[in-house]
Amino acid sequence: MIRIAAVGDVHVDKDVLGRYRPALEELPDRADALLIAGDLTRHGTVEEARCFATEFGGLGVPVVVVLGNHDHQSDLQDAVTGTLTDAGITVLEGSATVLEINGHRLGIAGSKGFGGGFAGACASNFGEREMKNFVGTTEEISARLGEALRSVECDALVALTHYAPVPETLIGEPLEIYPFLGCYQLGQAIDSAPTALALHGHAHHGSERGRTPGGVPVRNVAHPVIKQAYNVYQLLSETVDTELLPA
Amino acid sequence: MTNQIDLEAEIQRLLTEHDRIAEQGITIQRREHAIVLGGEVESAQRRDEICRQITGHFPEIEITCDIGITRAQAPIEVEEIS
Repeated sequence: MIRIAAVGDVHVDKDVLGRYRPALEELPDRADALLIAGDLTRHGTVEEARCFATEFGGLGVPVVVVLGNHDHQSDLQDAVTGTLTDAGITVLEGSATVLEINGHRLGIAGSKGFGGGFAGACASNFGEREMKNFVGTTEEISARLGEALRSVECDALVALTHYAPVPETLIGEPLEIYPFLGCYQLGQAIDSAPTALALHGHAHHGSERGRTPGGVPVRNVAHPVIKQAYNVYQLLSETVDTELLPA
Repeated sequence: MTNQIDLEAEIQRLLTEHDRIAEQGITIQRREHAIVLGGEVESAQRRDEICRQITGHFPEIEITCDIGITRAQAPIEVEEIS
C-alpha cells in the first residue's frame, strides 16, 4: 500500500508562511509522499520559492512538484527550480522520478502542461505564427509528458500536471476559458502509459473527479477545490481503511 | 468612467495583472447596485488588497466582498484509487 498526499495552487508568499505547517507536520503519519500540482508561488520569484521551500520542505517525506503558470510569471522558472531543488524538493518537467515506498516503486512523471482545449472545442496548429506557437507548445509539452510516463518502471504510476488533462474536472469553470485551463493532449499522454492516477490543479472553480478517455482516474487537487491542506490517495491497496486519523 | 460592458473584464485583468494581487480565481457578479466578488484566496491580506485595489481604481463602483480564505486543516479521510 502507498499513500500519497496531494495539493495544488498553494500560491505561497510571506503572508502564507505557517498556514499549512500544522497540517504538514501531521503528514508523515498520513502519507508516504507529498505531490504538489503547480502554482507553488504567486509571481514565480526566487524569494517566493524560498517561502514555499520553508513551508513545504523538511517534512520527513519526499516532496515532488511541477511548476504552474504563476511560477513562470517572472520568467525565473529555472532559478525557482534551482531554489526548490537545493531545498531537497524534486521538480519535474517532462521528467520522472521513482520513490521506494513500503517495498513498492512509486513512479511519478510530471509536467506543467499547457492549454489548448478539449475534443470538439480545441485550438489547431494552423494559421498565424502565434497560434502555431501556442498549439505547438501544447503538443511538445504533452509529448514529453507521455515519454516520461512510458519511461518509468514501477509498481504504481502517477501523472502530475498543473493544467487539466480532461474537461470533467473543469466543471464549475466558465466554459469559455476551458482552452486556457487544459488540453486533451495531456489526457492522451496519460493514456499512453499504465497510469494509475492523474493529479492536476489550476482550475480553482473546477470539480474534483474525472476520468481520461482511457479510464485513468483524474483528481483536481487545486487548494480551493479540495478545501483542506492536502488530500490523501491510497494506491496498491491490500485492505481499505478510509479513516485517516493519526495513530 | 469605465464602460459598464467592459467593467468585469477590467476588474478581472486588474486582479490578475496587478503585481500585488495576481489572482485569477475571483468571480465578479453584478447586482442592482453593487458588484459581488467571490472565490477564495490564501490569506486575509490578499482579500483586503483585492477590495482596496478595486475601490481605488473604480471609486464609483460599490463592491460587496464574499471572498473566503481557503481552509488549510489536515484531512481525516483517504480515497482509495482503483
